[in-house]
Amino acid sequence: MSDTIIEVKDVYKCFWVGDVPFPALNGVDVEVKRGQFMVLAGRSGSGKSTLLNVIGGLELADRGTVKVCGRDFNETPADERTRFRLRNIGFVFQAYNLIGVLNAMENVAFVCQLQGKENSECMDTAKHWLTEVGLGKLLDRRPHQLSGGQQQRVAVARALAMNPALVLADEPTANLDSSTGRELIELMTRLNEDFETTFLISSHDPAVLAAGSPVIHLEDGRLLSTDPNRPPPQPPQAACAIPQRNWGQRFGAWITGKS
Amino acid sequence: MALAPLFAMAARNLGRHPRRTGLTVTAIAVGLAALIFLWGFSDGLHSNLVRNLQDTIVGSIDIHPKGFFQRPEITKGIVDPKHIENALEEAGVERWTRRLVGFALAAGPRHTSGMVLMGVEPETEGRVTTLGDKVTIGRFLQADDDYQCVIGAGSARSLGVGIGDTLVLMANDRFGTLATEEFTVVGIATGGELGIDSGMFITTVKALQEMLEIHGQVSNYTLRVPESRLEPVYSALREKLCVERFDVLRWYDMYPMIHEWIILSDGFHLVFLSVVLLIVLGGVLNTVLLSMLERTREFGILMALGVQRSQLALMVAVESLLIGIIGVVVGATLGIALVMVSARVGIDLSALVGETRGFYVDPIIRTRLDLQHLWITMLGMLLVSLLAALYPAWRATRLAPVEAIRHG
Repeated sequence: MSDTIIEVKDVYKCFWVGDVPFPALNGVDVEVKRGQFMVLAGRSGSGKSTLLNVIGGLELADRGTVKVCGRDFNETPADERTRFRLRNIGFVFQAYNLIGVLNAMENVAFVCQLQGKENSECMDTAKHWLTEVGLGKLLDRRPHQLSGGQQQRVAVARALAMNPALVLADEPTANLDSSTGRELIELMTRLNEDFETTFLISSHDPAVLAAGSPVIHLEDGRLLSTDPNRPPPQPPQAACAIPQRNWGQRFGAWITGKS
Repeated sequence: MALAPLFAMAARNLGRHPRRTGLTVTAIAVGLAALIFLWGFSDGLHSNLVRNLQDTIVGSIDIHPKGFFQRPEITKGIVDPKHIENALEEAGVERWTRRLVGFALAAGPRHTSGMVLMGVEPETEGRVTTLGDKVTIGRFLQADDDYQCVIGAGSARSLGVGIGDTLVLMANDRFGTLATEEFTVVGIATGGELGIDSGMFITTVKALQEMLEIHGQVSNYTLRVPESRLEPVYSALREKLCVERFDVLRWYDMYPMIHEWIILSDGFHLVFLSVVLLIVLGGVLNTVLLSMLERTREFGILMALGVQRSQLALMVAVESLLIGIIGVVVGATLGIALVMVSARVGIDLSALVGETRGFYVDPIIRTRLDLQHLWITMLGMLLVSLLAALYPAWRATRLAPVEAIRHG
């Protein structure tokens, strides 16, 4: 089995505001090995979240290759990417994003149940991971009954309960105070060491950067590099292909007067 | 992929806004209960109408010579009644009576009047109709009566006769000769139905056979069967009797207006049901769509976790259906209870229908639960709940995960 979990080659992703292109990713190459605890650093707007979304298959790159566990997302239909995520990729979001109507244990067990496993097995798994993240006594608490740090721990447990090859965490400490953030990072590094789960974390929190191994930096949609032979980034017009609009979008633009 | 956790979540989602869910469920329940009650009232009214019509004089099915209903001639009756009685026995009909029907002139001390002549067999008439109950002065005919008669109160007034007085009846006998006979008035009927009050002369079959020299002949066999057996008995009799010689008519073949009125009334209820369903559709759609829009971000998260778009749509549909099911269960329970209570107690419309009292329908209406109408109403509500989910579910399938997560 290959050691490479993530393979991103020459990836471009643009967003358009009217006719003005914004290249969120401008020729990015990333490779993540199994068991790494990689941190993706960069300022807001540098393209970290977009890169995570593209790697997670939540959206497709405009150009380039994105392979996770050997699966080329550009060649994979949306429903199949969703199924793939369910089996292989755990997500931790900045705003915790737990399901409000489920308690901690149900939130964690939910993805396991979606995978079609037995309910009792999922409950055991959920209990195990919640105990691992230090919430073994708060199983029945609903999200609104937990602090931000506790909610983020539940989110980490949820990501791990599906037994993923990869956990993507988008600024997981951004909404936490520094001490809670440090605790969360310690937890994640411990889980990475204990279970050899691959983590790719986007952050500009120094505590997270300190824990990362390796740390890569994004700026204006490109990885920072000291390589003098590396070609310069493409200008936005060259990086972004003009999107094809369907007749409905064209009609909407005509109605609103926005080209 | 397992759907159980999504269904469980759909059920929990109903509790996110209990007041909103409660209001929607209440709207469905009240709407359904009102529909069930209204249709139950209408069905009760129809039952009452049909029962009164049959009870008073018509019966369920009438057998007579071909064309007799259009042109009754008392002397051209059924000459081989045994043939019909065998058919009745084979069809399992137990409640039947024989009649002689035609036209005659009746002369009293004050006036002479054309009348509908009806000969009955008093010993069996009571098994088919409640004609005897309409006699308010004197008595109804008895088996051993000879030349006695019952007339309506209006006729008694215009002819100037009372109990114990005699009337001279004139009618053509089977040779076409005018036959006359004196009859003693033993009963005066009141009721207002079918012209009994004025214009009907009721005596025994035996007396008319003797007077008109048509011994052994009758013109009609009038049957009474439960409404549920009407069609099978009708078909069986048509099969057994020669349709070239006899007409076998159901009550609504003879009085189609009432039957058509009932069909029209049911049609009106279907239109009314559709209007209520449209209103419910709007209410449920509003609730489900609001709920869906509020949770756009959560839908994005679910998709990121691995929930398929089709599963999201299914979850929305299940939420809507659950609202519908709860509403239908509550509404049906309430509606059925209302119909049951009203069926037992009765709804007295005397104050409203005083003027038309006695016109086929009793002023006290007892509601009736028609299972077919109940199912139509309940299924309609459930279908509407499901339809209300179509648009929100479709919107859920159009969500892009990243945009949905950024939402709200």
